[in-house]
Amino acid sequence: MPLLHFEDFSAGQKLALDGRYTVTAEEIVAFARQFDPQPHHLDDEAAKKTVLGGLAASGWHVCAMAMRLIVDGLVGKAASQGAAGVEECRWLKPVRPGDVLRLELEVLETRAPSSRSDIGFVKIRWDLFNQREQVAMMISAPMFLRRT
Amino acid sequence: MWFEDIEIGTKHTLGEYRFVEDEMIAFAKKYDPQTFHVDPQAAKQSIFGGLIASGWMTVAVWMKLMTAKLTPESAGASVSPGFEDLRWYKPVRPGTALTYSTEVVEKRELKSRPHFGLVLNRNEARDQDGTLYMSIVTKVLRERRSAS
Repeated sequence: MPLLHFEDFSAGQKLALDGRYTVTAEEIVAFARQFDPQPHHLDDEAAKKTVLGGLAASGWHVCAMAMRLIVDGLVGKAASQGAAGVEECRWLKPVRPGDVLRLELEVLETRAPSSRSDIGFVKIRWDLFNQREQVAMMISAPMFLRRT
Repeated sequence: MWFEDIEIGTKHTLGEYRFVEDEMIAFAKKYDPQTFHVDPQAAKQSIFGGLIASGWMTVAVWMKLMTAKLTPESAGASVSPGFEDLRWYKPVRPGTALTYSTEVVEKRELKSRPHFGLVLNRNEARDQDGTLYMSIVTKVLRERRSAS
């Protein structure tokens, strides 16, 4: 399959990625030990006393799992030139052990800068769904793609 | 600390973190397996000219340093609805040491949640020369004293 280029994207386009990410308690705790060692990410009993009401993944872990889905489902198939950041991220629902995550993407905007003929800019909204069809996280982020 | 006690302009240095190749690759293999994050040899042919850290690791390290500063009380009391304006300015290469800092930039009262206020911090990661590598505006809900 040929790589997707800037010209393959247009505003309003939607893409449901095939990949699924199954969340485990072990992985939630391992990520939290390394980067976000707060009680609600480390220990189910302690987490029950917090506003999250039970063990939940660090928001940064949720971002990382969504990144894995987008790398497997889109970036690897596109003439990606990287990303310079994230415009906005909202953590909407706790992500818990046993959750199965999937990603739906929507192209919000495409722009071909007049200063560069080789690269185009595509702003994408990521909706990360759990198996209950709730949006657990929303991100809007620009990425750069090669032009044909 | 209550919402009312937090002052705009308060700035803290969170600490320094040195990026090590093995850790960069381990993170990326799990969450961001793009060539320039996982394969030092192949990365030389990429647009970055060598191995670089996943941007998500650069920001997860911010959380790691931040949690080291949280007291048990403030950790349990703080929940984040998300972040905005995450920017990766320069690639982070093995051996790069970044110093992270945080500054309170805005406080918002929430009509929808009168017992809480939203505090926005601008956070930065810079190397020893002061070069900016990453910035992000984080958000945290803080309980209001008037709610107690």
